[in-house]
Amino acid sequence: MASSAAAAAAAYLDADENLEAIISRIEQKSRKIETLLKQSKPVEALKTALEGTPLKTRDERCKSANWIVVHRAMMAIRDVDGMFNSLDPEYYDILMKYLYRGLSTGDRPTCDQCLKIHEKLTEKAGLGCILRSLADTVNTV
Amino acid sequence: MKGVAAKLWAAVVGVPNGPVGPVRSADEWCTSSGVFPAFASPPSSNHFHHSTTTTLHLRHRRAAPLPSPPPPPAMAAAAIHQFAECITCHAWSPDHSMIAFCPNNNEVHIYKFFTDKWEKLHVLSKHDQIVSGIDWKNKFAVGSGAKSVCICYYEQDNNWWISKVVRKKHESSVTSVAWHPNNILLATTSTDGKCRVLSTFIKGVDTRGSQASTSTDWKFGEQIAQLDLSSMWAFGVRWSPSGKTLAYAGHNSMIYFIDDVETSPAAQNLALRDLPLRDILFLSERTVIGVGFDCNPMIFSADETGLWSFVRYLDERKVTTSTSRASQLSEALGKLYGQSKQVASSDTVEPSKPRGGVHENCITCIVPLRKGNDSIVKRFSTSGLDGKIVVWDSENHIDIKK
Repeated sequence: MASSAAAAAAAYLDADENLEAIISRIEQKSRKIETLLKQSKPVEALKTALEGTPLKTRDERCKSANWIVVHRAMMAIRDVDGMFNSLDPEYYDILMKYLYRGLSTGDRPTCDQCLKIHEKLTEKAGLGCILRSLADTVNTV
Repeated sequence: MKGVAAKLWAAVVGVPNGPVGPVRSADEWCTSSGVFPAFASPPSSNHFHHSTTTTLHLRHRRAAPLPSPPPPPAMAAAAIHQFAECITCHAWSPDHSMIAFCPNNNEVHIYKFFTDKWEKLHVLSKHDQIVSGIDWKNKFAVGSGAKSVCICYYEQDNNWWISKVVRKKHESSVTSVAWHPNNILLATTSTDGKCRVLSTFIKGVDTRGSQASTSTDWKFGEQIAQLDLSSMWAFGVRWSPSGKTLAYAGHNSMIYFIDDVETSPAAQNLALRDLPLRDILFLSERTVIGVGFDCNPMIFSADETGLWSFVRYLDERKVTTSTSRASQLSEALGKLYGQSKQVASSDTVEPSKPRGGVHENCITCIVPLRKGNDSIVKRFSTSGLDGKIVVWDSENHIDIKK
């Protein structure tokens, strides 16, 4: 049972944060992710990408910037089963939202990867997770 | 989860479509009412029980036709009364002498039973849209699609029914109303995703400070609390027997528990693994049954520290460990499904039926079957869009928790 209270806490409270601050925070994340990927720690990179997602803001530039870093980390995942061994349930809801964003791009390799993760994530987190990601109109990615 | 097969017995009342009249499709229902447009299931299939020998047949003409609410032990309707073409929701007065119902429009009719027949006492017509939920204690509350809640009561001095409206508090249709045990606080959920607690103090009906020490200066219609936990529609609000805890379900597969809502609210959000809930019932202070789109009631319980968690599904027929159990189960299945399906499940239970047990469609309503003033509910019934009313009986409270 995923604890979404923890996920809400993990999601950065970005309502009052100004857009420049969000962008520069995402740039820092991006550099950290590159370092983690070089050390072949893709799951750590994915966690870093998902942490501090600007959920509340309506600014599409912030959303896209974060999607790019999540996408970068997600595409580096080779072992999906292994990923779920070290990915905590608090990330499930937000990861599901990004999977749907990925699927909406229509890009073949992205969709392949998203569907692969989606299958495992649904096994782990259940239909409730899909519902929360589709139903939430306040916290978007 | 604990390997103990549900020590529950369930009785099902199948509903033939025949006598209930033409069944409208969900779409048609939605078009005709204009409320809850995105629902396949109109959110007003309440069923209530009472303990006297008379039962009413409340006709439903919707996607989910509901039969007469049966008196618990007997499975046939004791009496059928035709009040209206179509009834969307109803509630009994505390002594079961009166009934209030909505004949699928903006009115609430009140009937009283006089020695041999039901007589219409009054019609409340202050609502300007369809009525979606009724709950009756010393006053009764009516939620409606007009973003309002009416508090209705009988005024002894003037021999007249009064309906007072709480307006401009809700931003969308009210889906559920629930009385606090002190009969002053009313909790509501609505499709704007919020749960509100309102004071409904009415001079002459309620006495100040009689039961709750906190109810000092609340005026009628005053909003005590607004809980903005769900970003989606909210459903099925209920108070625990003492009124300490409030619980409601969100359409985003979440259930929310709030302690001490009047004084210092502390909320717990619980994300469900499966589909969302539609209605909730407190069996005791620490045990909750949730019903909804998963077709199978879920048990939630709180530990000593007050932390809520999902325990298991109530109807776990999938677990078969020994042959003796299997035969018991098939016997139970025969009881559940009637003679026709008994052959199919003679000694093995299909293990892979993905969801649903006794109910085959969304469960929309759960009500307690109380004996006297029991604080712990041992029997309760559920109704759903499959047209069944199921009576559940737990042998004792402990079995539900394990």
